[in-house]
Amino acid sequence: MSWVAQVRAPVQRKLLVAFLLITLLFIAMGAFSLFTIREMSRQSELLDRAHQRLERAQEIHHSLAMQMHLTAMALLVRDEAAVASVLRENNRFNEALAQLEAAVEDPERVVIQKVRAGQEEAMVIVADIANLVRDGKIAAATQLHASREDPLYRSIDARVAEMVQRENAGMVSLRDGLRAAQQRSLVVMASFAAISVLLALGGGFVISWALIRPVYAAHGLLNELAGGRFGGTVTVPNRDEFGELAARLSATSRELARLDAEQRCAAQELGALNAKLEQASKAKSEFLANMSHELRTPLNAILGFTEMLSDGLYGPVPAQYKEPLADIQTNGRHLLRLINDVLDLSKIEAGRMELAMEEYSAQEVVGMVRASLRSLAEEKGLDFKVEVDPGLPEVLRGDAKRIMQCLLNLAGNALKFTKRGGVTIRAARDGDCVRYSVSDTGIGIPTDQLAEVFAEFRQVDATVTREFGGTGLGLSITKKFVEMHGGRIWVESRLNEGSAFHFTIPLRSEIASTV
Amino acid sequence: MSQKTILYVEDNEFNRKIIRQLLAQTSYRLREAHDGESGVRAAQDELPDLILMDVQLPKMSGLEATQRLRADPRTAAVPIIIITSYAMDGDAQKANDAGATAYLAKPYSPRHLLAKIREIVPEA
Ligand SMILES: Nc1ncnc2c1ncn2[C@@H]1O[C@H](COP(=O)(O)OP(=O)(O)OP(=O)(O)O)[C@@H](O)[C@H]1O
Ligand SMILES: [Mg+2]
Repeated sequence: MSWVAQVRAPVQRKLLVAFLLITLLFIAMGAFSLFTIREMSRQSELLDRAHQRLERAQEIHHSLAMQMHLTAMALLVRDEAAVASVLRENNRFNEALAQLEAAVEDPERVVIQKVRAGQEEAMVIVADIANLVRDGKIAAATQLHASREDPLYRSIDARVAEMVQRENAGMVSLRDGLRAAQQRSLVVMASFAAISVLLALGGGFVISWALIRPVYAAHGLLNELAGGRFGGTVTVPNRDEFGELAARLSATSRELARLDAEQRCAAQELGALNAKLEQASKAKSEFLANMSHELRTPLNAILGFTEMLSDGLYGPVPAQYKEPLADIQTNGRHLLRLINDVLDLSKIEAGRMELAMEEYSAQEVVGMVRASLRSLAEEKGLDFKVEVDPGLPEVLRGDAKRIMQCLLNLAGNALKFTKRGGVTIRAARDGDCVRYSVSDTGIGIPTDQLAEVFAEFRQVDATVTREFGGTGLGLSITKKFVEMHGGRIWVESRLNEGSAFHFTIPLRSEIASTV
Repeated sequence: MSQKTILYVEDNEFNRKIIRQLLAQTSYRLREAHDGESGVRAAQDELPDLILMDVQLPKMSGLEATQRLRADPRTAAVPIIIITSYAMDGDAQKANDAGATAYLAKPYSPRHLLAKIREIVPEA
């Protein structure tokens, strides 16, 4: 069957050829049947004509018998009028004979001419007999009839009888031939039909197999590809479109395998690179941790000496030294906060920051934030209020130290960026969370910067930074702590009117994980 | 009551100086050690009333020194205040595990430290 596939021709042409073949067969069958029908009708026409000839011959035969009979009658009744009937009968005879002559072939015509000659002779004798009867010479007429007319008639009759017989035999043979031809054409037609059907079925089977097999093969390969097994190929004997398709499929599969291998290779490289990067990032945060420790030790000494100095441990402090001493302490603490922030960020990034989940009171946390920032608010002449919703549970869960750090960052910012008015810290229930809000009446944040203030080292603008100080780490650390708790932070602000920062901490916060 | 002795184990000269000057105003007697190993030896040689132990020390970390002292029956009962950098999370836990009596993060306020010392070993 594969030879059909191997034929180097388009599928369309193959199908066309197959259909053409079948169509030709049917056309041949049609032509043959047309021919058969024509032949049959010709044969039946022949038969028809033979039939007519037979009828004529029989008519002639009959007419001859009538003539003989009428002549005998005329002699018997001695009436001349009866002889006239013979003449009439003769006309009928001649007519039939002429018709027959027109319908037969040459050899038969010779016989007919002999019959006619005999008949003409017989008519002369009949005329003689009629004259004799008229003259009353009955005996002579009877004599003439018996000696001449009767033998003549008999010889004609024998010829005609022979003719009838021949026509009859011819007709029988014609009819037999017709019947045989009918039989034959039936057989031919039947075998034609059978062959056509067999050819159509066989051709259809062979061609459809040649087409279906590559489809199955392609299906198998596609299944493999869909299952992620690349690199397989399809081999089909087809040298048509299906062969091309199979070749394309195989090429595609190989290409996929190549890409897959490449991608795997790349993924491996990436993985290695990633591991290296991770290591580098770990090393970085380790370095930062060490650095901040190393920074902290001398800072500890600076802050310690300053405190002891201003505490009068080394003797009374002159009035003009008090302010610079306070400035040293303020800046030392700022430096400490910076170190702490950088350390916190590096720990969060290295995934080494863990929350210490415990039970705490919002009232207490908010109170502590207020206590540590009150003096700053007073210095700037700002209102500084805290409101804790009485509907809030007494005991909450979370890392109180970190939540406090968040609030200190937000409230610190609020106080930093507000010149008039005040700052309010609120804690209230919000669904199954506690929501902390810090609102101020400060400079506000432009709308297009709202999303960016939570990014590291991001500050709204340089002039503001110069005026207010800071590094831009506070909000990003706050956001990370909030998210580690499973909460959310957002800001609403209007330029020159004020800002409100909100964050939520789930009441059942058990997410003591890393960000 | 006799004079109380405090052993301070710290490698940084300036930090030792702070404590020296801080305690100079008090009746406490100060002894100093510069690394973990000598700190442990000093405590075993002469039992102090309180030990101030820095965490990051040469030769032996403050945490390990604390464990050694706790393991030695002679020094097992001596109160130890561990002074650590706030650098590592879980330092308080580690200090606790090592057997510290109290824990203080650097940078500490000298005022606070003195208050803590007085709380644990009142002056004579
Ligand atoms: N309440 C506020 N009103 C107006 N702008 C604010 C407010 N809070 C934050 N911002 C803007 O967001 C920026 C980032 O704040 P963030 O707290 O992260 O950094 P910072 O306060 O500048 O520095 P740091 O907190 O590290 O000392 C600020 O510099 C400021 O431009
Ligand atoms: Mg800030």
